[in-house]
Amino acid sequence: MSAGGRTRNVAAFVRARREAWERLEALSGRVETGRLSLAEVEELDRLYRRTAGDLAHARAAFPGTDAEGYLAQVTARAYGALYRRRRRPLAEVARLFASDAPAAMVGNGWALALSAGLLLAGVAGGALAVALEPAAAGWLVPAAIRDALAARRLWTGDLLSAAPGLAGGAILRNNLAVAALCFALGLTGGLGTAALLLANGLLVGAVVVAAAQAGLGPDLLGFLSAHGPAELSALVLAGQGGLVLASGLVRPGEWPRGLALAVRGREGARLLAVAVPVLLLVALVESTVSPSAALATPAKAGLGLALAAALWGYLWRAGRTEAATATVAGATRGEG
Amino acid sequence: MHPDPELQFETPERVALSLPVAGLGARALAALLDLLVLFLAWMTAVLLYSLFGDLVGRWQALSGAGQVLAVVGVLASGWGWDVAWEVLWRGQTPGKRALGLRVVRADGAPVGPVESLVRNALRALELPLAYAPAVLMVALGPRRQRLGDLAAGTLVVQERRYDLSRYGPPAGAAARFAALRSRAPGLLGADEFERLTDFLRRRAELAPAPRARIAAALAAAFAARAGLPAPGAVGDQPGDAAGAAEAEPFLEALAYHASEGS
Repeated sequence: MSAGGRTRNVAAFVRARREAWERLEALSGRVETGRLSLAEVEELDRLYRRTAGDLAHARAAFPGTDAEGYLAQVTARAYGALYRRRRRPLAEVARLFASDAPAAMVGNGWALALSAGLLLAGVAGGALAVALEPAAAGWLVPAAIRDALAARRLWTGDLLSAAPGLAGGAILRNNLAVAALCFALGLTGGLGTAALLLANGLLVGAVVVAAAQAGLGPDLLGFLSAHGPAELSALVLAGQGGLVLASGLVRPGEWPRGLALAVRGREGARLLAVAVPVLLLVALVESTVSPSAALATPAKAGLGLALAAALWGYLWRAGRTEAATATVAGATRGEG
Repeated sequence: MHPDPELQFETPERVALSLPVAGLGARALAALLDLLVLFLAWMTAVLLYSLFGDLVGRWQALSGAGQVLAVVGVLASGWGWDVAWEVLWRGQTPGKRALGLRVVRADGAPVGPVESLVRNALRALELPLAYAPAVLMVALGPRRQRLGDLAAGTLVVQERRYDLSRYGPPAGAAARFAALRSRAPGLLGADEFERLTDFLRRRAELAPAPRARIAAALAAAFAARAGLPAPGAVGDQPGDAAGAAEAEPFLEALAYHASEGS
């Protein structure tokens, strides 16, 4: 066994080194599932460096052999085990909600303003259109809802009293699909996200005014007030995420477009990650509290506003703290 | 067309690494397998439940909130299936593991929760089009990335199972168990030799614990017959960690020398 294993024969090379490689493989596997002792980590590090050298040798001396392929795979796996910056998966999920997502919300204020602005513009547009020209309800409000309004009853009563649970599921699936689509359409350069936000706003605005014209305004307000604020907030967050994703495509800055897209996509997805659990909660409220006749509208409105305030308060506080920490860290680095 | 794209990245020690990127066939098959597993899991759950109780009655007896939670569970299992597996199983779902696929970031590290969420959330664009964009992009793209992979900065790599035994037993094992060179021929019956090589060929498919147990038992039995101490035994009990690590090289050397002699 010559030092460094610079053998000419691939079989002799593999036989001489194989035990070290298999030990490295076993140690890498243990990193993925559990913990190593300090001595084992040192052994892993040493074996990794040696094996990387073996890979370089195999690539030069025995290209295209199984030995080279095996070495590339083992080295890559050990590299992943050794240089893993990331925490354990669940710790990373905890960090996502504790600081990463709020920081993404605060750090992309332009996208938040744009997303909320588009949704509100849609609401205002829909409301104004139907208020000024009631015939506009003909194509802004879905036919089923128009028929119900014409019959002077709130469609929500029928829909939800029949099978509240099933309706909750349908509401959730629909909301999640809209949120995911709002984010995904960021790939259209943000145009699709903007269109979806506007369209959803138009629908809400038009329906509210149409219901008010039919004399059902207070009833609808009672139904919407418990879940509406949180639901619209989640939609704004998903829209913000989509716009952040789009910014990677539209304004990559000095980065290659593919890299900018990946970085901004991950940042935007943090916002979607917040929207999803909010929508789960919304579905629960929308199918139980909202249709309940026992609760008065002020109580529902109080609950709805409290939910939305809690969401934005948590994001703002955690995001500000994160931004401040990052600034301090940056300043400290700048001085040092 | 790009026949064999590879993910290439460099470690801090300037070692260039490359991993083969998975093709359309393997990925489609993995997706189908996942769908099948999810479907079977739900079928089994419903069947088991209906054996023990009146499913419809229970459903109707649930409160509104309970029904919502039940529906949420069903939906989340579909939506969150891939994300949960990829995050907890270092880039693999059951289907991907079966086909040796793994989702990695462009720097070779396994995916985190956010990357997994991005690449799976973008299915919302592909699903209404029956995955046609995904199929085209994986088939024709330079790095075989779906829309979701592009936005997350991830790739799906193909891990292969290499069999180094074609190069003969490890040199260390052959030298350490030099005593076997003279004793191995004639030590094993034909059927024992077959079982031994079966084990050596299939051991990679075994779970670590039974693999170590079988190796230790075989090594102890054959060592005793050859009149040698059990491998790894310097006062150690066979079957402990050191013994298990020694058992497989011993068996490899045994098979090698036994086949040489016959």
